[in-house]
Amino acid sequence: MNTIITILLILAAAAMFAHGFWKGRKNKHHFHIGHSHGGSSLDIDALAYASKLRNWNAGFKVLLATASLILCIAFNNIYVSVAVILMMGYLTVVIGELEFDHYLSMMTIPIVFMVVGAITIAIGYSLKPVGQYNLHVFNLFYIYCSNKSLLQAGVLILKALGAVSALYMMTLTTPLTELVSVLRKIHMPKLIVELMNMIYRYIFIMLETYTKLKNSAESRLGYCDFRTSCYSFGNIASNLFIVSLKKANAYYNALEARCYDGELNFLEDEKPVKSWQIVFGICFILGLVAIWLFTR
Amino acid sequence: MKNTIEQPILQVKDIHFRYNDEKETLKGISLDIHEGEKIAVLGSNGAGKSTFFLNINGVLKSSSGQIIYRGKTIDKKSLNELRKNVGIVFQDADNQIIASTVEAEVSFGPMNLKLPREEVVKRVDKALRYMNIFDFKKRAPHYLSGGEKKRVSIADIIAMESEIIIFDEPTAALDPLNAAMLEEVLGKMSEEGRTMLISTHDVDFAYRWADRAVVFSNGQIIADDTPLNIFKQEDILEQASLKHPTMFDIYRIMEENGMVPADLGAYPRNIQEFQAMVGKGA
Repeated sequence: MNTIITILLILAAAAMFAHGFWKGRKNKHHFHIGHSHGGSSLDIDALAYASKLRNWNAGFKVLLATASLILCIAFNNIYVSVAVILMMGYLTVVIGELEFDHYLSMMTIPIVFMVVGAITIAIGYSLKPVGQYNLHVFNLFYIYCSNKSLLQAGVLILKALGAVSALYMMTLTTPLTELVSVLRKIHMPKLIVELMNMIYRYIFIMLETYTKLKNSAESRLGYCDFRTSCYSFGNIASNLFIVSLKKANAYYNALEARCYDGELNFLEDEKPVKSWQIVFGICFILGLVAIWLFTR
Repeated sequence: MKNTIEQPILQVKDIHFRYNDEKETLKGISLDIHEGEKIAVLGSNGAGKSTFFLNINGVLKSSSGQIIYRGKTIDKKSLNELRKNVGIVFQDADNQIIASTVEAEVSFGPMNLKLPREEVVKRVDKALRYMNIFDFKKRAPHYLSGGEKKRVSIADIIAMESEIIIFDEPTAALDPLNAAMLEEVLGKMSEEGRTMLISTHDVDFAYRWADRAVVFSNGQIIADDTPLNIFKQEDILEQASLKHPTMFDIYRIMEENGMVPADLGAYPRNIQEFQAMVGKGA
């Protein structure tokens, strides 16, 4: 049974890659992100805006990602993990049209951590030669690893990777505002939701202000050596604080001028879930359960 | 230009204002604003223009004096009435834009007016189309250029359908192309008979656009007349550190050199009028 599942997964992977290549050749990936000011903007945010998966209902994406994440961790099954990685990667890269290089470079960060973590599980040391593979060090002890520990490490890496790819599917295709509005819909306290909205908008203003201050300091040799750099950085930080306070004041005035009465209300557009998306989601989840049942 | 028969939309009577314990920023301002007027507000930095705007919008509360909107004196309860009907486009769009998509941003005002959803959608779409930024609907403001942000901040106010629209130094920090775009929008709006107040340092713009000019200096209004009459008064210009508009100077020079009859008094306000005057064989 396991071999059949393996073959099926390999076939699915091949089909996904083929679709990706075919799509990639047809339209040279060109997403424009508009103007990013001062050279400092958050990559993930920009990618989320450019994603073709953006017009999917945000709540649905959150649900799909969380369900995949939970199943991936709960089943603790190598086939389920691989299926989740493949499907989430497919959704983000091929359907969402995120460049594969971007995706890979984003994935490298968690992969490095996982591999480093998994090494400590795969490798052990002992005074006797045990395990299938061992290495005698300085005639003192053995570093060994066994098929079992290797498999364990592999399962762990794939499980974590599955979880990460599910969350990546969510964050790389959904702008933060939409995630916030999902939180609002599940009745997160209003205060937190509004704070998230304002903080999000403010991050960019602060980054922009910081870049401007830094550029102006740099243009006057403010970063010529370490001592001066520290000094400039301190000044910029304190200035940033004052500028932020001033901006907060200006903001408040602008809010009041448009009849602000203590609640931030915005128009949220409705992106209804399409029925084929629901069918797809259910099929995918059922598929995961089926894989788990067959390979248990 | 003053229309004395009609009742003014907004009457400001002797308002005083100070920030905390500083000296008075507004020292007794009185102004009547009539329907359809195009008022240029001139004056140097720190003369009290922006403070005055925030006062007549109801954000800042004056320590004394009255603001009367359509015959109704504004008190604490009716402050929102003022905010609803007097809209401000702030100088720095970044200080005004709070939402994370253009659509949500423009909807903020109408949502606060507690309008039904369909009405909000209608107004937002209309405002976006008016400012020609409908395609940016779903974009995040931090991925827009300066000129585009400015348009969003104007759409904000258009969606509120305020009776009086105030622009606080709208052309500051805009490139020539965007400034021209802005003037086009202003032209379109004045054709529709909207009441507008614009503060500006650009005397050429004030001269060709406004039909009334108000000069602020040191917290007081020192002149309130047609732009032409104000630019003829040297003492006022000096007090408010204003210059003559270029067209005005050119006409003066032509007049002094006898190129136009001394009693013609045509005073062209823009290139088109100047061309027409020269073409007539003056």
